[in-house]
Amino acid sequence: MKDKTIGRILAFFLLISAVLAVVAVDSVRNINRSVASSDWVNHTHAVILEANGVASAAQAGNAAALTYLITGEARSQAQARDALSDMFEHLEVAKALTRNEPSQHAQVLRLETLVNQRAEFLRSAMADAKSNRPEAERAYVASDAIGASAGEIQRAVEKLTEEEMALLADRDRASYIQAQTTRWTVGSGVALDVLLLGGVAWLIWTDIEVRRRAAAALREANELLETKVRERTAELASANEHLTTENFERRWANQALEHQVRYNELIIDSINDLVFVLTKSLNISRLNPAVVRLTGFEAEELINHPFPLFARITTAGGAPLADPLSRALIEGHDLRDQRAIVTDKRGREIPVSLALFPLRDRDKVVGGVAILQVLRESS
Amino acid sequence: MKSGFDSPRPHQLGPLIRKAALAALVAAAALTGLRAFTMQDLLSDAKMTPKRFAGRFADFEFEFNPYVQDPDVFLQRQRGDCADYAIMADYVLKRKQFETRIIRVALVGTLAHDVCYVTQVKAYLDYNNRVYFKNLERSGRSLREIAEKVAASFDANWTSVSVYTFDYGEGIKHLTLTVVKTDPPSEDADSASPGPAK
Repeated sequence: MKDKTIGRILAFFLLISAVLAVVAVDSVRNINRSVASSDWVNHTHAVILEANGVASAAQAGNAAALTYLITGEARSQAQARDALSDMFEHLEVAKALTRNEPSQHAQVLRLETLVNQRAEFLRSAMADAKSNRPEAERAYVASDAIGASAGEIQRAVEKLTEEEMALLADRDRASYIQAQTTRWTVGSGVALDVLLLGGVAWLIWTDIEVRRRAAAALREANELLETKVRERTAELASANEHLTTENFERRWANQALEHQVRYNELIIDSINDLVFVLTKSLNISRLNPAVVRLTGFEAEELINHPFPLFARITTAGGAPLADPLSRALIEGHDLRDQRAIVTDKRGREIPVSLALFPLRDRDKVVGGVAILQVLRESS
Repeated sequence: MKSGFDSPRPHQLGPLIRKAALAALVAAAALTGLRAFTMQDLLSDAKMTPKRFAGRFADFEFEFNPYVQDPDVFLQRQRGDCADYAIMADYVLKRKQFETRIIRVALVGTLAHDVCYVTQVKAYLDYNNRVYFKNLERSGRSLREIAEKVAASFDANWTSVSVYTFDYGEGIKHLTLTVVKTDPPSEDADSASPGPAK
């Protein structure tokens, strides 16, 4: 998503740059065309100016020449000469300006013919005036009547000017169209670039919006997660507290139990009678210290050994009785005041009074506790 | 106001001012007289160069004349226009073995402007540019280049540029060559001139 957006934005910017480049190139080209059009407009004005310069100089030359013919003043002659020089100068420039425009050039050449005729006439009139001024004056007046007069030159100039004005209108129109084209190109380019920039802005805005929504969703998820973590932490704290309490209670119970066991052991160990804990199959599983003291056996020597081998129940006459211990455990009743004989480690036989109490676990006999009390007459 | 000097009394002020003004006029006239020069001075100057020529006209003033002034009148009055200056430069420098051309540039909206191009220094003398240290304007030798440069100095466009000759005795300008701006440069009459354009 992110990469796509950047790619699109880059593509837009490339497009904008391309449009700018096209507009710039086209504008420069149009400006060059406008400059060329402007040059042509200036050119046309220059032709008109030079043509009018020819007409003005011709008039000035006529006036100065006439003055000279009338007055004979050298100053007027000089003025006429300068005017004619000026006229030819304008004519030469006009010829050069129109040399690539056949129609206008033809008119300028016609004008040149008229101008040459007029100049030749004026020169000869002024030359004649040196010898016979009134005759020259009459010839000057006659020349206006036969043509090639300043008026004819003026008309030729006006015709040329008229054509140049038509050209000027065409060239000005071309210049205007160029300017319009430039405006249209620049305007369109700018409008297109604005649109493209708008597109870029929209892309960026959309991307920002998506990012904002994603950030909001992430924030919400984080908040939810934090809530769950808080809840879970609270649960764990509660469980931990409960466990701690339970642990304390358990420890106290264990301590109490251990204390009870130790106390029970102490009680059993304090009893001077011989106490045995038997399995259901009458093997010795535990015994108290009195057994060790009285018999001289170590506990390891008796444990897991059959109890009947250690203590034999006898009758009143001293004969051994057939397995009353097993029967008592099977039937689950106590056996009291049974006479029995215990043989110690040295082989001495010690008469004892035996009592057997079935050991129950949930009403099921799992073994028994045998207590042997040494009889007095034997000790 | 106290002062260590005696102030002139009111009745003495008028004659004093008159005397000071007279002295200033005499001094100015003397200075002008010292600076004035003739065509003969220019022609006899063995060290004459285009730059030296332009330097002699630093104090001249502008005055438009419809026709070219007589050279002595121009030098004596120390007033004239671009044509007077360009024609005189052409006249003097040509006699000092410089290859020169009088060039007339037709500008849009103003009168034409004349300069004198000197081939050896690849620069032209311009009456509008005579008072500065850099009194020669360097330019390529083609008429089109010169016209562009001259027009640029006026911030204007040009329409045509011509070369003309002028003889003080005859008093008539003879156009020998004209280049038109709108014509293709390859068709310029001076485009086939020998040597590089610039």
